[in-house]
Amino acid sequence: MKILIIEDEQGLRDNIVSYLNADGNICESCNDLSGAISKLASYNYDCVLLDIGLPDGDGFTVLNFLKKQRKEESVLIISARNSLDDKVKGLNIGADDYLTKPFHLAELKARVEAVYRRKTAHSNNKLVFNEIAINLFGREVEINNKPIILTRKEYDMLLYFIANKGKVISKSAIAEHLWGDEMDMHDSFDFIYTHIKNLRKKLLDASANDYLKSVYGIGYKFSAV
Amino acid sequence: MKLSAHYNKASIIVSVTVLLAGAVIYFFAINYIARNQLDRDLDEEIGELFEYINTHHQLPKPVDFDEDQTTFVKTDHRVSTRFFDTAYKNPKEQKTENGRAVEGSVALNGLTYKFTIVISSEGTEYLIQIIAIITLVLMVSLVLILFLTNRYVLNGLWQPFYKLLNQLRGFNVSEQLEHHLLVTKVDEFKELDQAIEMMSLRVKNDFQKLKEFTENASHEMMTPLAVITSKLDTLIQDESLKPEQFEQINDIYGATSKLSRLNQSLLLLVKIENNLIDDAEVIDLKYLLTDKLRQFQELIQSKDLNLIANLISHEIMVSRYLVDILLNNLISNAIRHNTHGGELSITLFEDRLSIQNIGKANALNTERMFDRFQKGNRSEGTGLGLTIVKNICKMYGWEVTYCYQDSMHTFQVIFEPSTIL
Repeated sequence: MKILIIEDEQGLRDNIVSYLNADGNICESCNDLSGAISKLASYNYDCVLLDIGLPDGDGFTVLNFLKKQRKEESVLIISARNSLDDKVKGLNIGADDYLTKPFHLAELKARVEAVYRRKTAHSNNKLVFNEIAINLFGREVEINNKPIILTRKEYDMLLYFIANKGKVISKSAIAEHLWGDEMDMHDSFDFIYTHIKNLRKKLLDASANDYLKSVYGIGYKFSAV
Repeated sequence: MKLSAHYNKASIIVSVTVLLAGAVIYFFAINYIARNQLDRDLDEEIGELFEYINTHHQLPKPVDFDEDQTTFVKTDHRVSTRFFDTAYKNPKEQKTENGRAVEGSVALNGLTYKFTIVISSEGTEYLIQIIAIITLVLMVSLVLILFLTNRYVLNGLWQPFYKLLNQLRGFNVSEQLEHHLLVTKVDEFKELDQAIEMMSLRVKNDFQKLKEFTENASHEMMTPLAVITSKLDTLIQDESLKPEQFEQINDIYGATSKLSRLNQSLLLLVKIENNLIDDAEVIDLKYLLTDKLRQFQELIQSKDLNLIANLISHEIMVSRYLVDILLNNLISNAIRHNTHGGELSITLFEDRLSIQNIGKANALNTERMFDRFQKGNRSEGTGLGLTIVKNICKMYGWEVTYCYQDSMHTFQVIFEPSTIL
């Protein structure tokens, strides 16, 4: 997947680039509007990460440019403004998703993949990872062609882990992905443990490999080995 | 006491005092003038008497001077002329009146006579009485008129002041109502009105700026928070870190996420106060609550709560976003502050929503519980949850109440408070 990251905060941009630069993804980045437009004018990307607040204008200009040029890039807005208006406006002009800062890189990765999958869904509605096959439309999971039943949270978690395979994911990132703002983190850590235990058991029972590793004290890792 | 009453009191005291003093001075002055007049009359009488005696060389008979009563008494020494008050016997009306007399001596044919002339002072006294009555009547009517003027005219004059006062009482810094200029001819009130208008504009401006500042500050903080989070996410990829270091990182995650929630809550409050959320739609609370309870199912089960939900279909016009936050805050509070194995009861009535939970065996501080950053000792929250609830309720004209009875904490959202009262 070829990704363009338009973000003016250098610290954030570098981390996003290094996090997404795996699984054969190619990331390019720029820090302002004019750079973004010139890159988008000359190259094609699969996905664009777009910060709305740029030093030389707002990111909606990029959306308008893409729309005018009839370009097919998926756009994920990352914005410091958790504003309903901005969200609606962005989605109306053609953005595919809207992520509010601060966010976990794991969440960003999962969203990027989801946005990309949605764009290419007509050709491929199946996500396959080794022996695990996920039917994204029916939300059904098969292991070695045998279906297993997962709860909604377990299913979400599995997708989240696969999107972030090989990365350590903190408990707080998992909690935020599963419950959003609804729960205090301390409440949710116990639930995460239970859900992961159940998911792991279901996968192992269906004779899948043991991908889920606990990283002591911090979180979990879906090891791709 | 009202200003007009103060003014009334002062003006009546001053005018009565001045009038009384004036009346006394007036009385003495008139008395003095009248007496002088009488004495001059008596002087003339003496002149006439001497002239008569010089012409006729005999004492006049009493009938010669019609009104005056002149008496002669033989005496052996000279009497100096003096004026004095005495009684005057009116021969026609057979009664005694006040009179003025003069006595002196006159020599005739080698003999000395003492003469006394008495004239009636009734006329002048009558005059004084009339003047006194007129003065009294004037005084009373003046006081009455002053009183009435003060009461009606002054009160009328002060009306703009009371209007201003009412406007000031109703002043709300977060409302964008225009200040209505007063229609008055009184310069002082005009100036006061203008000063108030300027003040309220300035206050509202400052408040607006403060809110903008809060909003901008909160937004600006989001990007550094995003940097911290992404750095941490990158940091934990290094699996050579020790568990203690992971513990530290975990705490940083916790603090970052709390800071970000705090920021979101502050921003939300600003938005509610500015009425920036106006995507109201018709929502059936029953479905929303059922949904919410499903969402909180895990939490409810983990605390072994006995959930009692009595829901009826009830449609309200509200922003989905806000009512979601309202229910989240109330229900998560009711679960978080519940005892293990306790009870959570959610009842939806025609006019209100009631959320009850068993909790600590003492009532919360009702006065301050809806204030910002008020939270329980062991609460992990931001301290803004109930403030947000209250502000959302205020925005829709609802009322949120709290009561405590037998370890049961009850929060109620009353949808149409006016119809219940």
